[in-house]
Amino acid sequence: MSKPPTPSAPHRPLSPHLQVWRYHITMFTSILHRITGVATIAGLLLGAAWLVALGATASGLCPEAYTTYLTFAASPLGLLIWFGVTLAGFIHLTGGLRHLIWDMGQGFDLRTSNLMAWSGLVTAVLATIAVWFYLFATGKVAL
Amino acid sequence: MTDSYLIQRSAKDWKKSAKHGAGEWLAERGTSVVLIPLVLWALFSGIGLSGKGYDAALAFVHVPLNAGLISLLFLVSGWHMFMGLKVIIDDYIGKPGTRGLLNLVNLVFCLAVVIAALGGLYFVFKA
Repeated sequence: MSKPPTPSAPHRPLSPHLQVWRYHITMFTSILHRITGVATIAGLLLGAAWLVALGATASGLCPEAYTTYLTFAASPLGLLIWFGVTLAGFIHLTGGLRHLIWDMGQGFDLRTSNLMAWSGLVTAVLATIAVWFYLFATGKVAL
Repeated sequence: MTDSYLIQRSAKDWKKSAKHGAGEWLAERGTSVVLIPLVLWALFSGIGLSGKGYDAALAFVHVPLNAGLISLLFLVSGWHMFMGLKVIIDDYIGKPGTRGLLNLVNLVFCLAVVIAALGGLYFVFKA
């Protein structure tokens, strides 16, 4: 542990010392929460592009806009992005629930923290597989 | 190893903002809670619309409740996105000038996404 600050210095909380930290699942899910939060921006951009394309086609400003959008959204690259957004979104959702539980002052002990980290990851992966299995099985989406 | 110096000092001694902080904290949690049902609704709507074409999408957006929820989703998630990106910028960018500039870019970007989405929605209804 580093030396305590002098009494006159402002008393700031210390950041984790990454060099001396042993890997733990909670540090993985912690940074993953930030990464998945950024990754879900792709979903918001796709959603905004969907509305822009729909508006452009409906108003007649650019009649082929929606076809262009659908061609991209249903392309292998588009589907890969949708898949990534689904996975990142579910991980961020379960991570967000974990943080809301912590914000209520619950579940800080090691056992509960580990359990929430793992159950959040497993739930997110299973939910993503379920969604995409359904999409492919019903023929709504095809490669 | 016990952090004895931590025990000696009261929580009141910790460096904290006297002006703001509680508002941001509540806004982050508030938007998170609102986004849980909204995002799940968007997911189920997206699944329902996938594989269908232009007419189905147009009919979906024309339902007032759907248009309202879409607007709410973009407003709340745009705000949530801004706060999330701001925390990342504040954490990693130490230079005040660069940090301020990046946060301005962040604000413009988030506003642009929300305005684009709501603008698209406006043109759907105007048509």
